[in-house]
Amino acid sequence: MNDNKKANKLRRSLFTIFFMFAVTFVFISVLSLIYVLTRDTIRLNESLVVKRAVLYVAGLEVPQSGIEADALYRDRVREVKDGQGVVLYYEILNAKGGSVQSYVLPVLGAGLWGEIEAVVGVEKDLKTLTGIEFIKQNETPGLGGRITESWFKEQFRGKRWPLQSVPEGEPTGDQEFQAITGATNTVNGVKGILNDRLAKAEQAIKAPE
Amino acid sequence: MNSYKFRQVFKENIGINNPVFVQILGICSTLAVTNVLRNTVVMCAGLVFVTGLSNLTVSALRKYIPGRVRMMVETLIIAAYVIIVDVVLKAYIPDISRQLGPYVGLIITNCIIMGRAEAFALSNPPGLSLVDGLTSGLGYSYVLLIIAFLRELLGTGSIWGVRVLGAWWTNWNIMIMAPGAFFMLALFIWVVKGNFMKEKKAQGPASTPAPQAVSTGGKS
Repeated sequence: MNDNKKANKLRRSLFTIFFMFAVTFVFISVLSLIYVLTRDTIRLNESLVVKRAVLYVAGLEVPQSGIEADALYRDRVREVKDGQGVVLYYEILNAKGGSVQSYVLPVLGAGLWGEIEAVVGVEKDLKTLTGIEFIKQNETPGLGGRITESWFKEQFRGKRWPLQSVPEGEPTGDQEFQAITGATNTVNGVKGILNDRLAKAEQAIKAPE
Repeated sequence: MNSYKFRQVFKENIGINNPVFVQILGICSTLAVTNVLRNTVVMCAGLVFVTGLSNLTVSALRKYIPGRVRMMVETLIIAAYVIIVDVVLKAYIPDISRQLGPYVGLIITNCIIMGRAEAFALSNPPGLSLVDGLTSGLGYSYVLLIIAFLRELLGTGSIWGVRVLGAWWTNWNIMIMAPGAFFMLALFIWVVKGNFMKEKKAQGPASTPAPQAVSTGGKS
């Protein structure tokens, strides 16, 4: 009788283990299949985030479709890398001649809550901005987070650095941009990133020439 | 009999036993993803999908799941469906996926799903469980959508990213921030409980206390 009970218990334990194994196996298989099917699309999407941003700040019209955006990027953008393969800056090529028309620089700096990662486009003179796009930011939603709003980004086109900020809603001069009310630290962060990093980037681009 | 049960389940989840404003479950995502309507819709669709299918799966397996590991199995099933949602979002609507960030993954810890699997799917047939899961998801969704609608309208003056209030409107920034969600949710619960729930309580306080017991597992 006692042996029988033990055997029963063992059988139940084994069933539990087998059941867990089987369920896990089935679900992992299904997930792996879905992962494999979508892997390329996801990878493309991830690379497109930066590519679209580069095209956008260069003032080019970004196509809706991912494949077209990718093609345009390959056509018009040349990545300049350092020895380790990290992109130093992007050269935007002319539609026809293939000569460099402007530059796009990856920049990084402190916001209020964390790092702000962005790309900034500058004309060939390295002084006039062609645009800015934020790739990664953790600013307060509704306050600092508004740096991703279109009006804020668009206002930088054609401005010349070093930049100063004026209160939100006020008219801006050639070297000024509108701040965001209630997001002083974020705006100062953006201003610092633009002014400091552009100065450094200017040296980096000019040096090899 | 059967259609009566279905109707009962529907009524419970949408109204008298609503996961959000009666059981106060799923509050984490209610607060986090309701600042813009578009994100909320995607989040809700994901949640309805996960509650429905995980309930269905748990119910279909309920006779085989060993009692001791049932929570492991439930979590495994829920996690699998959530990963499917996450992967699909990443592949097909990457920008919304980026905005939702970790909250899609956090559907796994949403108490509504685990709660329904434990309280309902383990003891009911698959068809009814599917309906229970879907209606629980819907009960959660419409509350979130109302909150998101009001928050986006008051916070940015727009609906679905389109400006609807004129330039005279001063945006209530606080509505987009986390405190705005607390205010809105509290107001919503107050209005609903004050105006719609009173009579029903007087009619029958015996309305299934079972799911309440489950909610002790932490309110995520």
